[in-house]
Amino acid sequence: MKLDFFKLVKREIRIMLKNFSIIYSFSTFFVIASLIFVFSVNDISYVKIFYKSIVWIVLIFSIMLVSENFLNEDFNDGSLKELQFLGFSEESIMVSKSIAMWVMIMIPMLFLIPLVFVFFQITLYELISLVINLFLATPSLTLISILSSLFSVQLKRNKIIQFVIILPFFVPMIIFTTSTETLFESYNLKENQFLILIGIFFITLPVCLMAGRLIMREINK
Amino acid sequence: MIFKLANPLRFQRLIEKIEPITLNIAITLLLVGLFFCFFGSPPDYLQGETVRIMYIHVPCAWFSLMIYSIIALCSIFSIVFKHTLADLISRSCAPIGACFTLATLLTGSIWGKPTWGTWWVWDARLTSELVLLIIYLGLIIINNAYEDKSKADRYSSILAIIGIINLPIIKWSVDWWSTLHQPASISKFSSPSIDPSMLLPLFIMTFSFFFFFISILLVRVRGEIIQRKIEVIRFNRMV
Repeated sequence: MKLDFFKLVKREIRIMLKNFSIIYSFSTFFVIASLIFVFSVNDISYVKIFYKSIVWIVLIFSIMLVSENFLNEDFNDGSLKELQFLGFSEESIMVSKSIAMWVMIMIPMLFLIPLVFVFFQITLYELISLVINLFLATPSLTLISILSSLFSVQLKRNKIIQFVIILPFFVPMIIFTTSTETLFESYNLKENQFLILIGIFFITLPVCLMAGRLIMREINK
Repeated sequence: MIFKLANPLRFQRLIEKIEPITLNIAITLLLVGLFFCFFGSPPDYLQGETVRIMYIHVPCAWFSLMIYSIIALCSIFSIVFKHTLADLISRSCAPIGACFTLATLLTGSIWGKPTWGTWWVWDARLTSELVLLIIYLGLIIINNAYEDKSKADRYSSILAIIGIINLPIIKWSVDWWSTLHQPASISKFSSPSIDPSMLLPLFIMTFSFFFFFISILLVRVRGEIIQRKIEVIRFNRMV
């Protein structure tokens, strides 16, 4: 079963590599959308203040747009049902998809972050802090977006519902990722600033897996 | 007893008997409560007359949480026992809960302007209450998004269960973070920090809102049962 799970992850990564355009379009969208913010302000000092918020908003929207592709194809060609029929648990399917998405989309995105360093004229310390932030928070983000696409997989129209349903669950993430430093500085816990993000992941993981399992069962009824 | 009443048709008959009584109690308590709010309770020594907004704001806030708890409970019941009545109740509760949450935010804003000097602050309590409103809206949208109602009920149940996380955050946000919103002053029954002359109208208004909620809920549940009956009849005609 352990081997089977790795096979499943391998399958997801292979599919991702075949659909390389998804990674490309995600990266392009991320860079262009970040640039739009820079173009929209006259004074670059404003961007320097809000760079974290900008990066996170762009990231959330781009990841939600991409996550749709992860499940729609599997649902439409019947692979999702087939995987369950083969005996893979709903949790393992969801985890494998999340791992593939994190490895193939989130990790390459971290290499794009130095561009932000140039565009937003932030310091090296801020850049490192941002990268660690993204590295620790993106697993939760990936799980939530996979869940959101599960919610909307059977909706033929009005995909905007996906955003409306799931956006409230990004609120704590946004709050803690964009204000971790200031928040923990005020409590004199600066060295523990990233632990909250790991904490959020350990709350998100079981909740998303449980909800994902229930939705997948409902989808295949 | 519960399972006997869980039959939608039996429940509909019960609603027809209970609903006028609860509505009458709600209206009577509301009139008595409003009299006490405006004439039977003194103005606050610091806030003045604006304190009277509390008699609407606090019950609305309590019910926004209570209604979500009912939805969550019904959702768990629906997923475990797959019972139609639990789906009907949670579906009917969502718009009522959204209205109570909106009323909480609006009355809070009206109170906040003269007291805090602003309509809105990004306070932990206010933000988490706003998130609750968005979750309610999400539930309403899901309930109407799918053509298959049983599927919509199942999806909204799952979303409602995920949203439970927000309830303790709202309740204890004032204790966990340093907020502008004051901590609980009424739930501390051992030493309530509110004068009895203000506590009485507040409780009357709370009971009034409770009966109002019950009567609106019963009307909505009856409407849902009738709507589902119509759908069954239409389906049978098509077949």
